[in-house]
Amino acid sequence: MAETIQAEMNANVWKILVAPGDSVEEECPLMILESMKMEIPVLAESEGFVVALHVAEGDRVSPGQPLVDLSTN
Amino acid sequence: MMEERAEAVHAERRAAALAMGGDRKLKKRAAAGALNARERVDLLFDSGSFTESGLFATSPVDADKDTTPADGKVTGTGDIDGRRAAVIAYDFTVKGASSSSVSNKKMQHMKDLATRRGMPLIYLAESTGVRMPDVMGGTGMGQGNDRSRFLRCRESPWASGVFGYSFGSAAWHTVSSDFAVFRKGSVMAVSSPGLVSRATGQEVDGQDLGGWRIHSEITGFADAVADTDEQAIELIRRFLSYLPAHNGEAPPSAPITEGSEDRLHELRTLVPQSRTQVYDVRKVIEVVADNGSVFPIKARYGKSLVTALTRIGGQTVGVIANNPMFKGGAIDADACDKATSFLVLCDSYNIPILFLVDQPGFLIGLEAERDKVAGKVINWMNALSLVTVPKITVMMRKNYGQAFVNMGGAFTADATAAWWSAEISFMDPRSAVSVVYGIQPESDPEEYERRLAEMARGSTAYDIARVYGVQDVIDPVDTRSFVLAALRDNHLARTGGVGEHLLSTWPTSY
Repeated sequence: MAETIQAEMNANVWKILVAPGDSVEEECPLMILESMKMEIPVLAESEGFVVALHVAEGDRVSPGQPLVDLSTN
Repeated sequence: MMEERAEAVHAERRAAALAMGGDRKLKKRAAAGALNARERVDLLFDSGSFTESGLFATSPVDADKDTTPADGKVTGTGDIDGRRAAVIAYDFTVKGASSSSVSNKKMQHMKDLATRRGMPLIYLAESTGVRMPDVMGGTGMGQGNDRSRFLRCRESPWASGVFGYSFGSAAWHTVSSDFAVFRKGSVMAVSSPGLVSRATGQEVDGQDLGGWRIHSEITGFADAVADTDEQAIELIRRFLSYLPAHNGEAPPSAPITEGSEDRLHELRTLVPQSRTQVYDVRKVIEVVADNGSVFPIKARYGKSLVTALTRIGGQTVGVIANNPMFKGGAIDADACDKATSFLVLCDSYNIPILFLVDQPGFLIGLEAERDKVAGKVINWMNALSLVTVPKITVMMRKNYGQAFVNMGGAFTADATAAWWSAEISFMDPRSAVSVVYGIQPESDPEEYERRLAEMARGSTAYDIARVYGVQDVIDPVDTRSFVLAALRDNHLARTGGVGEHLLSTWPTSY
């Protein structure tokens, strides 16, 4: 099953921590957004593989924008 | 002879009423893993304590009198951990637990009893809504006597469980309650997906219309979610264990659980020093509260703010804490509603409130303004200003802007301390440099650093303590002892722990 993780708020993509093909555990940070002067991690909601990244470091994102596709078991 | 006959008739009538909607329907439910109304009531109350009211009620329509045992609502009283409570359990096997004039009388009597005699009322909801076609026409509608049917003044706690489909009064009672748990798979809506589709031409799915996920994540009507009927009922019992039986008494106290205070030393490390780093504040609450006593309210809704019933020193305390793990702890419109609704709960039932503060401000932006955040910030402030139960504030880390006041700052609380690491200002100093001087770290690093140091000046815990904006500066490990002392200082001694509950008539949902 594939799952798309979306941005929850307006933010800048500060650091991307995974690449397509990486396997991730539940709660694993995938990237760090910067908003309201806070470093906000985007976490995997379940374990799986990174299928695709939709953003790059430095991008601005808004609520609902797709960030990462995960394939989950 | 007469007596024997009376006995036989009585036994037969009882058996027919207790048979609910019949074997076939009951077996079908059991096979689907759903309990029936009477099984739910048995689980809710201490064993053998249920006293039924209205077992022999049926539909007022003659043609339906043999097919409407208890008229589709099992009502009565029983004990929950030894305290009396009233119940309204919807029996879906009897005409979809639809409401008629008789079942409405039963429900009204339970509400009156709970209100006047001071006991909690529990709804175990599952209903198709009003009974059709009984209510059709002027003669149907004209029989209503609803002057106080939906009056809610929170004289005693109401808790609801939502099981299966819940439309009409089952939905009204759920949103009128102080606590609502949704069993996974349940659907609650004003009307059924079928009716919506026919009335509006919009094809809708039940889960999209009012599924448990919608209500736990989007509307916030769900205070908790349960995997099974049994777990839902257990959560209702647990919720009530934190509350008084009525608003004229203090909440019950419990023994301090073993292991409480064992992990206080972790408070020095659970919150990272750097204000930009996130962590999960629920771990902090677990450590400060009595071991195992944290009962989250609306955990899946407005997640940048945590609301939870806890016990501290055996006493019920409502905790409101920012959670940087979500949205960096920035307080959005949902989080505002969640805070206000929790203040209403605590104020209505004499529960002291503890703020644990670490927030970067209200979440600002286009969406926030359209979500009416300005109105919600001030609803929260108005509620906070009306609260008469003890309020205690602990500023843990950063604390900026108007949200500083909403989170129990500026003498809105009765007792306030700041951790020695706290940082208090009108805004993040980095934002202030941009606003006041219009410079960014990239454009002029030297000037930026100089201005940043200037803007960050005077923001320490000792600075706010100097003007008595907090009463103490504390080591994080002393949080619990500060709270315990503040609870004693601010105990409502004149009234035996009973507040004025000025919020008890505030809206039942936000």
